[in-house]
Amino acid sequence: MERYRVVPGPEGYLPPAAALHGVELPLPGQGLVEGSRVEGRTAALAIAERLVSASVPTFFPGPLLLWKSTEEALERGRLVREIAREVGAKVIPMPDYRPKYPMIDPAVEINPNHPNLTIWFNKIDVGVFIGVHCHQANLALKIIRGGTSCFTVALCAHEGHEDANASLRDTDVASLTALLDAVRIVKQGGE
Amino acid sequence: MSLEITRMNPHFADVMPQEYTDLVENGPFGRDFGARDLGSFKELFEEHPMCAGCNLSLAFRIIVASLPNPADTIMVGSTGCNSIAFPQLALHNVHSLFGNQNAIASGLKRGLALRFPDKVKDVVVVAGDGATADIGLDMTLHSWFRGEKFATVMFDNEIYANTGGQESGMTECGEIRNMAPTGKKFNKISVANLAIEAGCAYVAVVTTASPLKISKCFEKAVLVAREIGPTYVQIYTPCPTNLKLKSSESVSLAKERSKGTYQFREHVSPEAEEFLAARAEKTEEQVRVTSKDEEMHSA
Amino acid sequence: MPDVELKPVSTEHLLRECQREEVFITGSEAVREAIRRANVDIAVAYPITPQSESMHLVGDLYAEGYIRDYFRGENEFAVMSEIAGAAMAGVRVFTATCGPGTLRAFENFPMWSGTRLPIVISFMTRGINSPLTIQPDTIEMGMLLDTGMIMLHAENAQDLYDMILMSFSVAERTSVHIPVGVFVDGFFVTHTRQKVKIVSEDVKLLPYDPTHSPVPTMDMETPPFRYMRDPFVMKSNYISYAAHASWQQEVMAAAERARPHIEAHLGSFVEQENPDAPIQVVACGTAVSQGREAVRMAREEGLEVGLVKIKVLRPAPREEIRRALAKAERIVIPEFNRTGWLAREIASMIPNNDRIAAGPRVFGGMTMPPEVIVDVIKGDVLVGV
Ligand SMILES: Cc1ncc(C[n+]2csc(CCOP(=O)(O)OP(=O)(O)O)c2C)c(N)n1
Ligand SMILES: [Mg+2]
Repeated sequence: MERYRVVPGPEGYLPPAAALHGVELPLPGQGLVEGSRVEGRTAALAIAERLVSASVPTFFPGPLLLWKSTEEALERGRLVREIAREVGAKVIPMPDYRPKYPMIDPAVEINPNHPNLTIWFNKIDVGVFIGVHCHQANLALKIIRGGTSCFTVALCAHEGHEDANASLRDTDVASLTALLDAVRIVKQGGE
Repeated sequence: MSLEITRMNPHFADVMPQEYTDLVENGPFGRDFGARDLGSFKELFEEHPMCAGCNLSLAFRIIVASLPNPADTIMVGSTGCNSIAFPQLALHNVHSLFGNQNAIASGLKRGLALRFPDKVKDVVVVAGDGATADIGLDMTLHSWFRGEKFATVMFDNEIYANTGGQESGMTECGEIRNMAPTGKKFNKISVANLAIEAGCAYVAVVTTASPLKISKCFEKAVLVAREIGPTYVQIYTPCPTNLKLKSSESVSLAKERSKGTYQFREHVSPEAEEFLAARAEKTEEQVRVTSKDEEMHSA
Repeated sequence: MPDVELKPVSTEHLLRECQREEVFITGSEAVREAIRRANVDIAVAYPITPQSESMHLVGDLYAEGYIRDYFRGENEFAVMSEIAGAAMAGVRVFTATCGPGTLRAFENFPMWSGTRLPIVISFMTRGINSPLTIQPDTIEMGMLLDTGMIMLHAENAQDLYDMILMSFSVAERTSVHIPVGVFVDGFFVTHTRQKVKIVSEDVKLLPYDPTHSPVPTMDMETPPFRYMRDPFVMKSNYISYAAHASWQQEVMAAAERARPHIEAHLGSFVEQENPDAPIQVVACGTAVSQGREAVRMAREEGLEVGLVKIKVLRPAPREEIRRALAKAERIVIPEFNRTGWLAREIASMIPNNDRIAAGPRVFGGMTMPPEVIVDVIKGDVLVGV
């Protein structure tokens, strides 16, 4: 069987979890691009390129970034806003994980149980998750791959995400600073 | 400090949806709001999809508003109509299985006690009559026997409402219900008596006819559970949907029952009595001091 | 507090670098020695033979100060929920049960996986009713295969000791964070003395860090404060179905992600002796020991026979089994149960599964003399199938 590639959807009725088809998490120092392990810097550049060339790039900060303002969270928040400014991205928060009742307002928020609604409504073509618990991030990533053509990015503070089209692991202030640099390099026409 | 998780990262305050800004600015975290103040602050339980006239949701709203320290409260529910309410609650809450709520709460409370020895974490169980008195009765009772320090609340609609109106152990004898086609053959279980016998330090039986009484009893139950031992509050919450009543009729029913077969009862152990009295004295003193302050200001 | 201060060290350090001493102990005592070093916060117990002795000894550890909280629950269903509640609060937990206890508790196991609890539990396998039996039988393992938990099977007390200690670090990884069951055949291992090399230095595992959980810990210290564990996604619409389906896939993915971490500790999911032999005996648990003796006897008679020891049942050792049995012409699968769940598993993993000679299968507490396995190796003898 051919190697499963984690490319943007819409993939269909119920796409598989990438981990069940041989996609492995990045090792320390690495990132993932479309299911392949690459050097962390290569992944950051790939993400930067996507962000710069997107029509509606959007950051989805999650609860771990939105609440409990530790110094780290403040600094990460500042960097996310700066990267978003640099690429002209929207910022649509995921304030919590409960399915939205009676109805989500997809213009102002995203939810892991039905993230496709927000992607569709805003015509988002590149979406970046950060500060979302890994379980909920994986739900969102898979549902988006199933029903939309959005390119997904997961900036994970832990081990990364196979279900994203591109993912960094151990994302901290330094890696966000590096991503900001990568965005600036790409904007100036590459290295 | 857990209040921290109720504060926003300023870098994203401009993009947060209004309801979250409201929760932070007008919510009860770190403020002294109670059931009396309902309508004047942003509640932690909102936009629930319960049936019109649901007494359970009324009771739920009251107890959530009466939590003495919501910022450090974790609630545990069970399968049943309460589990349709819980997703709308802006607090950490657990739905695990049907009937295991007091077992989950036992482990949760002990785990939190180990992790936060210098802080009070209130654990509150809220479950239906089926969950508490039938399928989970062993776990309800054993958590009391063991003296687990959390409050247990039963929403007693005397029926399995969520699955379509079957008989529960809390249904009154003779009532015809699904699965009791010729009428229930045994008496309503007196869980309140069992609670007293099992060593609960505080036990109360109330109805939705008196919301403020629910609030007062519930607050006592949480406070006594913190300091002394297990507590139990049983709230009569008639179900208009299954009983085929109009919403107004279900409140009248609660009123009627509260004068007859569902009368207010309260049991307070001597230790709990002492604790509550000492606390009341303290609050009174506080009130005196504050009013004195006010007097001085106005002078 | 224990008499001596235990130094917290990584699992790798504890299992690979710490000095060990060889002791002659029962399987139950091996559980105690593993838990002594595991830095467990809460253990909850309920008696059932042949598990009880293990949890008595874990209770002794509590009395000595190695565990911070311990009690006897009211029944296994409750115990597994109590353990779940404690794990949700963000502490490290341990429990054990078997046979009827496993079945009594059953509804909890998929709940544990679904809610991403890194619980370590040991099953000292035993037969189930009716009629009542307390004897060894691995039938419960076949029933647990689809609960989402990771499943390791110890052959002996040494495996049991090492597997319990390694399980915490596998279960608690952010990308995994699902329960691990360490299975061992009741009585055969729990109640017999064996040589076991145990760590002799005053060390323990590093504590569990709840801030690395892939779902919020239920403490009102972890954002978001508006959080139900687990949310209701049961409205009657496609969105709800898709959310539930994706959730289940994520739990399966979690087990898959455990592979490299299990391998890092165990070396491999399966071990093979005489891989080129045309006849292969495939087994797990104490059936491996019996199989090894049978292989020795058969080889003495001039037969070419190999042995495949399966250490990991979940995540399924698909590739490993396919590779190990690629050249086998005849596959013998001895099992301590009537259902033959291991043979079914293997049959679903390999091409040409008519190579499998079912059995021998023994149950009801019967032992499995190696001679019986040799009989099946030699020809189509029906034993228990
Ligand atoms: C093990 C198990 N058995 C049965 C059910 C079905 N069930 C769901 S809710 C419920 C009744 C709940 O009744 P009660 O606790 O009184 O709550 P209510 O809905 O009346 O508020 C039942 C029987 C289940 N979910 N799990
Ligand atoms: Mg009911």
